[in-house]
Amino acid sequence: MRTTRRCLSAAVAALALTLAGCANVAKISTGEVVVERRISFTLDAAWNQVNLPGRSKPVVWTQDGLPIDVLELWIGIKDGETLVDTPKDKRPLVFKASMAPDEIVALFEGVYARDGSSFTLDKAAPAQFVGGPGVRFDYTMVRKADEVRLSGVGWAAVKNGELVAMTFVAPRLGFFPRHVAKAEKAAASARWR
Amino acid sequence: MQPDRRQALAWGCAHCAVLACGPALAQTDDDPLPPRLTRPEIDGDEGGLWALVDREETRLRRSAFVLRDPPLRDYLTAIACKLGGPHCADTRVYVVRTPWFNASMAPNGMMQIWTGLLLRADNEAQLAAVIGHEMGHYLQRHSLARLRDARTRSAVMGLMAFAGGVGLIGQMAMLAGQAAYTREHESEADRIGLQLMRRAGYDTLAAAQVWSDLRDELKAGAGGDPAQKSVMFATHPGVEERQRVLQTMAGAGGGFAGDAEYAEHIDPLMPDLIGDELKRVQYDESLALFNRLAQRRPTRGDLRYAIGEAHRLRGLPADRDAALAAHTAALALERPPAETHRALGLLLRQQGSAAPARAQFQLYLQRAPQAPDAALIQSYLNDT
Repeated sequence: MRTTRRCLSAAVAALALTLAGCANVAKISTGEVVVERRISFTLDAAWNQVNLPGRSKPVVWTQDGLPIDVLELWIGIKDGETLVDTPKDKRPLVFKASMAPDEIVALFEGVYARDGSSFTLDKAAPAQFVGGPGVRFDYTMVRKADEVRLSGVGWAAVKNGELVAMTFVAPRLGFFPRHVAKAEKAAASARWR
Repeated sequence: MQPDRRQALAWGCAHCAVLACGPALAQTDDDPLPPRLTRPEIDGDEGGLWALVDREETRLRRSAFVLRDPPLRDYLTAIACKLGGPHCADTRVYVVRTPWFNASMAPNGMMQIWTGLLLRADNEAQLAAVIGHEMGHYLQRHSLARLRDARTRSAVMGLMAFAGGVGLIGQMAMLAGQAAYTREHESEADRIGLQLMRRAGYDTLAAAQVWSDLRDELKAGAGGDPAQKSVMFATHPGVEERQRVLQTMAGAGGGFAGDAEYAEHIDPLMPDLIGDELKRVQYDESLALFNRLAQRRPTRGDLRYAIGEAHRLRGLPADRDAALAAHTAALALERPPAETHRALGLLLRQQGSAAPARAQFQLYLQRAPQAPDAALIQSYLNDT
C-alpha cells in the first residue's frame, strides 16, 4: 500500500543517500557536547552524526553506520509539533504538552510501527532524564524493510511544555549489546541548558 | 462437449483475453476454471518469473511476519480451495502480519493474505471475494502479461511486487511504482472472482460490499480521495464503476455468508489485529473501520475499546469525551480488554477525577499485573 511504500521510500532514500555519500557525517567527540543549543551530553564514547539532506529532525547519531545502529534525538519539540515528516495524506505524529508518559511512549510506538514493522513494548517505567522526571521504555521490533530483529531503548521527558527524547535501536544480536551502554551513559549525562 | 475439451477451449480463450482478443470467458457463467497450470520451462520468460517467485516464497516461509497458525491457515486454504477447485493442489496460503488491506496470488500458487484484510472482512464471503479476485489474476496469468509489458519498459523489477513478493526485493520493486495490473486485468479478475464465488455458493453481493467498505474507510482519512491513497484503488477500475458492475453481476445475491465460521477463526486474533491497526496511527481511517465493525457486532467490548483508543490517541478536542464514552461502554460489553481500565484511568486522571482514575488503574494492574507498563501505572497510583 502507498503508506508502506512511502515509509520504505524514506528509509531506502536515507540509506541510498548515505551510501551515495550525499549525507554529511560529522564526528561527535568524547567530552561535553551541546546539541541544538538546548541539551548537553557528557560522552565517554565518540559518535558519528549523520545529517540527511532535507531532514531536520530527529538528530541522528550512530556507532557503526546506518541503518545498523541508530541513536535519535528529539530536542525541544513544542506542543503541536510533529515528530517525523509525514506524507500530506496521512495523519502526522504530533506531540502535545498535555501527554502523559504512556501517551508519549505510544507516540514512539507509532514512529517505529507505522510502516508495518512489528513493535513490542517490553517495559515502560519512570526514569530520570535530562535532570528531571521522565520515562524509559524498552522495546523489541522486527523492521519491515529487511526483517532484522532489533532491540531498542528510549527516554523521554517534558519540561516547560517541550519534549526531549532519545532512542537507540540496533540489531538484537551483536550490535545492541555492544553499544547500548554507550547510549545509556549518554542518556544519563543529558542535561537541559 | 466433453468437459476436458470445453475446459481446454476455455483456457485457450483465456489466453486470448490476455492478448486482448476479448473477454469471452469472463462474460459467461461457464466454469471459469482452466486446467491446472503446469510449471513452465525455466529457459522461458514465464519460467524465469516462476523462479523469481519461488525464491520469494522461500524467503516468505522464513519471514518473521508470517503467522504460524495452522488452524487459521487451514481455514483460509479451505476457502481458497472452495473457490479454486482443482487449483487447490497448487495453492499455498501464507498469512502475513501487515495491517493493511491486501492479498495477492503469485503465478506459482503462493497466496498471501495480509492481516489487515482479515480485520476488515466482515465474513467469509467478503474474504472469498478478495481471494477470488486474486485467483482471477492467477488463472488468467496476468502476471505473465505484465512481465512482457514490463520487459519492454525495462521495468522487470517492478514485476516482483505485483507477482506477490513482499520481501526486500518486492518492496523495492514497489517503490519503483510498477506494482500494478492494468485496469482491464482488474476488471477481468473482478468478473472471474464473482464467478468463482457463485460457483462455490458464496453470497456474491459481498464483493461490492467489501470494496465499498474500504472506500468509506479511506475517505475518512487525511487524504480524502481513495484513488490517490491506495494502490488497491489507484490501479483498480473507478470506484463507482466497479461497485456498479459488481452489484449488477452479483444479481440478487444470496448464498453463504459465513459470519459465524469467520468469527470463530478470526476472533482469537482480534487483540493483535486491533493493536496493529492502532499502530498505523491513521486514527481517522481506524475510526471508520472500528465503528463499522462495532455496528455489526454491537456486543463486542474489544471493538468499543478500539474506538475509544482511536479517539484517545487522536486527541482532538472532542475526542476526550468520545473516548470516555466508548471505554465506559466497552466495560459493559463482552470481554473488554484489560487495557480499557488503563485508558479510562488516563482519561479520568487528565480531567482531574483522581479517585475514579485510581480505581481504574488498580483494576488494570489486577487484571494485567505483568503488563509492560505496570511500573508506570503504579507511579500514577502513587501520584494521583
